[in-house]
Amino acid sequence: MSADLTLILPEIVLALYAMGALIGAVYTGKDALARPLIWSTAAVLAVVAFWVAFSSGDGSAFDGMIVKDGFARFAQVTILLSAAIVLVIGQDYMARNAMLKFEYPLLITLSVIGMMVMVSSGNLLTIYMGLELQSLALYVVASMRRDSVRSTEAGLKYFVLGALSSGLLLYGISLTYGYAGTLSFAGVIGAAGDEAPLGLLFGLVFMIAGFAFKVSAAPFHMWTPDVYEGSPTPVTAFFATAPKVAAMAMFARVVHDAFGGVVSDWQQIVAFLSVVSMFLGAIAAIGQTDIKRLMAYSSIAHMGYALMGLAAGTAGGVEAMLLYMAIYVVMNIGTFAFILSMTRDGRDVTDIASLRLLSKSRPGAALALLVLMFSLAGVPPTLGFFAKYGVLQAAVDANLVWLAVLGVIASVIGAFYYLRIVFFMYFGEAEEPFAPEVAMPQMIALAGAAILMLALLPELLGLEPLAAGAAAALVN
Amino acid sequence: MADDGTDRRFLGGPAGWISILLPFGLFLWFAQHIPAVAGGAVLRWDVEWIPSLGVTLGILLDGLSLSFALLISGIGALVTLYSASYLGGHPHYVRFVCYLMAFMTGMLGLVLSDNLLALFVFWEVTTVSSYLLIGFNADEAKSRRNALQALVVTGTGGLAFLAGIVLIGTAAGTFSISAIEGSLADHALYLPIFWLVIAGAFSKSAQFPLHFWLPNAMAAPTPVSAYLHSATMVKGGVYLLARMNPSLGGTDLWFWTLAIAGGFTAVFASVLAIRQTDIKQVLAYTTLMALGTLVLFIGVGTDYALEAAMAFLLVHSFYKAALFLMIGVVDHGTGTRDATVLRGLGRAMPVTMLAAMLAAASMAGLPPLFGFVGKEFLYKAALGAPAMIWVTGCIFAASVLMFVAAGIAAWRPFTGPLAETPVEPHEGPWPMLAGPVLLSVLGLAFGLMPDWAEALVAPAATAVAGRPVEVDLYLFKEVNAAFVLSLVTFATGFVLYLLHGRLRSGLARFKPRFDPGWDRLMDGVAAGAAGLTGLIQTGRLRRYIFVTFLALGLSTAVAVWRAGLSPEIPPLDDLEVKHWSVLTFILAGALLTAFTNSRMTAVAALGVVGIGVALVFIIFGAPDVAITQLLVEVLQVVLVAVAMLKLPYLNHEYVKTVRGWDLLLAISIGAMTTVILLAVQAAPLDLELTAFFEEASAPLAFGRNIVNVILVDFRALDTFGEIAVVAVAALGAYALLKGVRRPSP
Repeated sequence: MSADLTLILPEIVLALYAMGALIGAVYTGKDALARPLIWSTAAVLAVVAFWVAFSSGDGSAFDGMIVKDGFARFAQVTILLSAAIVLVIGQDYMARNAMLKFEYPLLITLSVIGMMVMVSSGNLLTIYMGLELQSLALYVVASMRRDSVRSTEAGLKYFVLGALSSGLLLYGISLTYGYAGTLSFAGVIGAAGDEAPLGLLFGLVFMIAGFAFKVSAAPFHMWTPDVYEGSPTPVTAFFATAPKVAAMAMFARVVHDAFGGVVSDWQQIVAFLSVVSMFLGAIAAIGQTDIKRLMAYSSIAHMGYALMGLAAGTAGGVEAMLLYMAIYVVMNIGTFAFILSMTRDGRDVTDIASLRLLSKSRPGAALALLVLMFSLAGVPPTLGFFAKYGVLQAAVDANLVWLAVLGVIASVIGAFYYLRIVFFMYFGEAEEPFAPEVAMPQMIALAGAAILMLALLPELLGLEPLAAGAAAALVN
Repeated sequence: MADDGTDRRFLGGPAGWISILLPFGLFLWFAQHIPAVAGGAVLRWDVEWIPSLGVTLGILLDGLSLSFALLISGIGALVTLYSASYLGGHPHYVRFVCYLMAFMTGMLGLVLSDNLLALFVFWEVTTVSSYLLIGFNADEAKSRRNALQALVVTGTGGLAFLAGIVLIGTAAGTFSISAIEGSLADHALYLPIFWLVIAGAFSKSAQFPLHFWLPNAMAAPTPVSAYLHSATMVKGGVYLLARMNPSLGGTDLWFWTLAIAGGFTAVFASVLAIRQTDIKQVLAYTTLMALGTLVLFIGVGTDYALEAAMAFLLVHSFYKAALFLMIGVVDHGTGTRDATVLRGLGRAMPVTMLAAMLAAASMAGLPPLFGFVGKEFLYKAALGAPAMIWVTGCIFAASVLMFVAAGIAAWRPFTGPLAETPVEPHEGPWPMLAGPVLLSVLGLAFGLMPDWAEALVAPAATAVAGRPVEVDLYLFKEVNAAFVLSLVTFATGFVLYLLHGRLRSGLARFKPRFDPGWDRLMDGVAAGAAGLTGLIQTGRLRRYIFVTFLALGLSTAVAVWRAGLSPEIPPLDDLEVKHWSVLTFILAGALLTAFTNSRMTAVAALGVVGIGVALVFIIFGAPDVAITQLLVEVLQVVLVAVAMLKLPYLNHEYVKTVRGWDLLLAISIGAMTTVILLAVQAAPLDLELTAFFEEASAPLAFGRNIVNVILVDFRALDTFGEIAVVAVAALGAYALLKGVRRPSP
């Protein structure tokens, strides 16, 4: 028992921190403590991230309910670090809009705990528990700006559709339980054998529908643009990073750990989700004028590429998917660091056309954003290109050449709207260039992400062997 | 631009010197390898770049890449020297030089890389730097539009090429060009590889029907047109075809695609060239003609054809770069590039005239210039080619029109009486004259001494053919068919030149315009995207839920179809009256839910369905489950009803428009669920748990009702938790209901 508890000590520490800070803040300074709480939460998340990163030893706890392996560690570290950075870069926005609530960092912490459980579970029920902990916290933060109709609408939509998808997931889990007699992955993979019985197959279909909602893969993406646009921007930045990694890792865990023996049964579904997401994300984004909405479609398209790695059904595919997600998170943090700073005359703007002539007034920020846009579009020699290349290669290796070809076509269409942003920044016409004040934390995140994108070598980040190890832990 | 042609700083300052010395140094470095490569050596250096992806930055120096590298660095040095004067005083001169150097690096990398992935990266570097250079005059909407057009066309082609590379890697098992063994023509993936590589090459080298971006790209400053869009970048596609010829060439598909596209582009472009009045546009279209010719002859692929193509590559680079730079000098010295205006500049600009005449004579293919040698060999190769009539016809028509174009571009502006021009004609400064003069004199020198060129042409042709090719270039040996054809060309060309004014106005009526189509395409893409988004992303939650269920229904339908299920309809004989009445009850509730116009009625009717289900449980002997179901159902109806009090009124008109779709969806989801349930029921359940509880409930928990035992004994803690949750939820709901006040009127 104590060994079990030791294994989940990082989660316990975070939970204790969240609850302790919540009670402490309620009885003391309340919202006056918001800013220090954001910093301390970010620090705690970062410390836990390093703790998890350097803790060694795989193992499982509570009869296989929790599995700590290389895959879990990789995903957890990505989640923790991105959550910490997003907290820090969002606080100026919060302060500007009188939204410094002490609950915000603590809700984020709770959802991070949920995500950590999601990626390290060895049982369908643990996954569901982690997912709900994450989702409930996210429903609240989405509607945190209570006096804004759009924010509350975003929260409500997210909640209704999220509950629907959780229902689908639960339905799938109970079908699986009925036919496998167990919820543990080890048991399910045994029951599925080489040819899954019908009940398991339909359970899988329903679960994939639920997962697709969580990763915002088309056609289960409907919530994404509205929630991205309506939520306060720091929350949107958070939505676009850590939860995506968690959901994708959870998806990979279930299909590989529980249904790894029947790859052909889910490969086509995942490939279909991938294609629809890539194309919908690429085409629908063209008509957008709001940069947050645009990033929503961009994230749908990117999830399509990550799913392509998953669709390969191989260790190489999972490795490519993990690398893709890590690079995607870095790109998104950098981009949102800038979006968070987009103000004109002290008011927040999210219109793409307002970026006109940014290159004249803020050449450094414009250059960094240019690099990030090129990277999001997958233009070589940025890391974004190598991320795309990795998943394309994985798909080709898995004999899914058609999928890779469609992916390339979608990436061409998708490049259009990223380049449009570049176009506005460099060639737009305006009487007065857009000149937002980019504060230090945001500038560091923006520049850091841009530099990483140009660091060229995935090895430089030291990510590749880690991702390979993580993938090997998952796919046996 | 400094008006007097001399910059305040000598040669544009440090940026200028560096940009001139760098390509010049590279040129010398490449030049020292000529003897070795001419001797048949293939030099290579390897640097591990991205080991995990197997990307090696292999530099491969054979005849083909050396020819290109010499052209890129040599013309690069002359163009940067020219730019130092042409743009030296421009406020963004340093930026311009940076773009130009980035382009040169990309282009050199493109022709020197042995690895296809590295080649692709450099390919895109040239695309992006070309975009920046075309759009250099960013204040003009036309520049920006044309830059974007070039980027989209060549970028799309580039991505097709990337897909082709991935397939080549799959087919050949390697990304190293030199390691691809033999031809891929028999591989299963040959067709997709072929078309993807062709799409990349044709977009880059502006072959019909992807040619329209190149004349528009002439919005760039003149040195850029001379360098990128004539001498180097647009030959990238030709380079690619030449490089892949040993692996992909030799098939009928290869021959006919390249011959037809290349030949058609050559003729079509030279016709359009005659039509232009802007001399720069004339040169732009003749560049298209040259690219078409190169593609045509690479497609023909005989030893002679490859030899002729490689010779023509050099010929064209010399005279075309010289002419582009010349027109820049003329534009600079007179303020116009209009062929109908410019006359008699010879006296005012003697040096320019010399360069222009030599280059134009080479373009027209007059002896003793290098252009004559090139054209002779094109004819010689054409007469021996398969599909001789097509190839010869194309090349003859193109050569005749080229003769006319040379007259329009270089003869007419410098001869005759001096005409009025916006600026008093004056000679350009020496840095601007150095390039055209040197290049056109080289054209003469190589014409007189064609043997010199053999050192490059022979190894280049060998590299393209993938087998040793004997090359013997000469100015004149004997009167043969090719020579006679040349004489006919000159005669026809001369007649047409005299008539070209009438020809131009005749052709002006013939307007194949791709540009409006392009703009419509761009607008269409934007409008289509907006329309699509408006259609699915309405912001209405009901639509979102609709789509979610639709997707779910479709995916389960596909799963049913893939599993090949045909559900067995269970026998209905043993249904009794009570069964039928409950079924009717449920059905009535469902129908009422679907067709009522009141929310409240719908909720109540849904409750009826739930109670019906509870009755089913009772009939089949599970009263405990039935009670639970009943409780949940009642609670749900009450909660929803209370929540509805707070909702705005229903828009009945709107509901009518969507009801049909909703009904359809509901029926299909219901049907799908039924099919799945029937199919799943047919498969054996895992009875392990049932067996365990049957066995263990009496001895361990002292109860005979298994469900009760599970609830209060085996899962007692869960039950306790559930009760707590329900209690807390009820408290929360109470607080909410108490807390919400109706807004006072």
